[in-house]
Amino acid sequence: MNATIEKDNRMRQTAVLQPAGGDRRLRLPERQPELTASVAVAHNAVAIKLGNSTIAMTTMSDGSPTDAGMTAGKPLKVSVAQVLIYELRVRDAMTRPPVTAGPGDSLRTIQHLMKTHRISGVPILQNGVPVGLVSIEDIINALDQGHVNEPAERWMTRNIVTLRDHFSLVRAVAEFDRHGFGRFPVLNSSGELVGVITRGDITACLMQQLEKRAEEAAAREAALFSGQTSDLEQTKSLVVQTEVKSGDYDNAGKISQRMRQILRARGVDPNIQRRAAIIAYEAEMNIIIHSIGGDLSIVISPGKVVIEAVDRGPGIENVDLAMQEGWSTAGPLAREMGFGAGMGLPNIKKCSDQFEIHSEMSVGTRLHCEVLLSQAAPPPQPGEPNEN
Amino acid sequence: MKTEKLKKLSSVLAAIKAEPLTNRAEADLTGCYISDLLSDVLAHASHGMLWITIQTHRNVISCATTKDIGAVLFVCGRKPDPGVVAEADAEGIVLLSTKLAAYEAAGKLWEAGLR
Repeated sequence: MNATIEKDNRMRQTAVLQPAGGDRRLRLPERQPELTASVAVAHNAVAIKLGNSTIAMTTMSDGSPTDAGMTAGKPLKVSVAQVLIYELRVRDAMTRPPVTAGPGDSLRTIQHLMKTHRISGVPILQNGVPVGLVSIEDIINALDQGHVNEPAERWMTRNIVTLRDHFSLVRAVAEFDRHGFGRFPVLNSSGELVGVITRGDITACLMQQLEKRAEEAAAREAALFSGQTSDLEQTKSLVVQTEVKSGDYDNAGKISQRMRQILRARGVDPNIQRRAAIIAYEAEMNIIIHSIGGDLSIVISPGKVVIEAVDRGPGIENVDLAMQEGWSTAGPLAREMGFGAGMGLPNIKKCSDQFEIHSEMSVGTRLHCEVLLSQAAPPPQPGEPNEN
Repeated sequence: MKTEKLKKLSSVLAAIKAEPLTNRAEADLTGCYISDLLSDVLAHASHGMLWITIQTHRNVISCATTKDIGAVLFVCGRKPDPGVVAEADAEGIVLLSTKLAAYEAAGKLWEAGLR
């Protein structure tokens, strides 16, 4: 990272993330094959973008972190920021081991160190204790004023501010904004110099974590759909299984869309396709809205589709009530998004050829639905006059 | 399959001064359904319908795809995020936006022959 970039308060780094496993067959069709991610560490704020949407936004004031996402009423967007900015520590992002020099080393020597290691600041150690720092600005001044051959101790910055390696990155960004320095020496709990951190290190670390996450997600999806190449073999049973997280509205519907593609490829009647898709989508939404998390599994065999949704709780207090149209226990956020009409379970039942639900409080709910693929025409559904 | 009276989306677009948001802006419509409740749409809308709603988040696309909705019309000048539009483009769902409210838009569409 060079000095000119570090002086800029708005740093930006963009990378194109390729999902792990370059094998095209494992990719989700009709999805963007690549993901553009960017992390911007700007004045008092860190924004993480995936494609066009900001997935995480965090601001700081006075070093005390507050979460912009929360106050803007979008708690869904916060989780990634919390993990990345709050959980990551200075020690995760810093450059180590630090390149150091002694007080007697000349500025010329330090300039060569900077050039060799492509760094922009060198802490000066005396008996293992940091006593100063020579930055690229000091070197430029030395060259300008002709004292580049003098020892570091004459020209180094003495009152250095250090960070501890256990500080969160959110605090580090706040410190950069507060002091306006390009870099901080990092000390461990024993006060020993263990690294140097720049804004560029933070950006790179966030990018790396983001890429890791994207790769993990891609690997999960690849594993999920690894049976894809044999989808068209009508005689084979295909299992699609995925974990569904509570509150994960952003990924809802992907499984049912994937199932639709398989059913379409197998030439299943469009009405039957839609019924199976509605069951899978509503079942997934139920886990997202009402449970603490669960699993959705879809088994597509030649004769039928079996959709099973199993969550880990809290359980439905009164299943008969839940089966009534219009009854809903959805919270305000879900309702705001147009969920919680109290029609989910009735919809699922209406679309199923076989429907079973068992729920136990503090254990969870198991939903088992079957849709027959071989039957000629499904019974007409109420409220669907246009479908045959 | 019984024969359906199909109405070209473009033939009713002018009536509501709608702005297309997706690359594709044509669809054969089988009718129209108005609801802001997703489960209600899943239960009662039919494939090929124009869906009028004020909901603009990405689950609208999931819902529309699940139900093979022909086009989604956002009313009261609402527009979804670019990411949602991109998803609709990928799924082949047409998105439109009008400044009219749902009631006015529906009235004008009915007059224009979308029944």
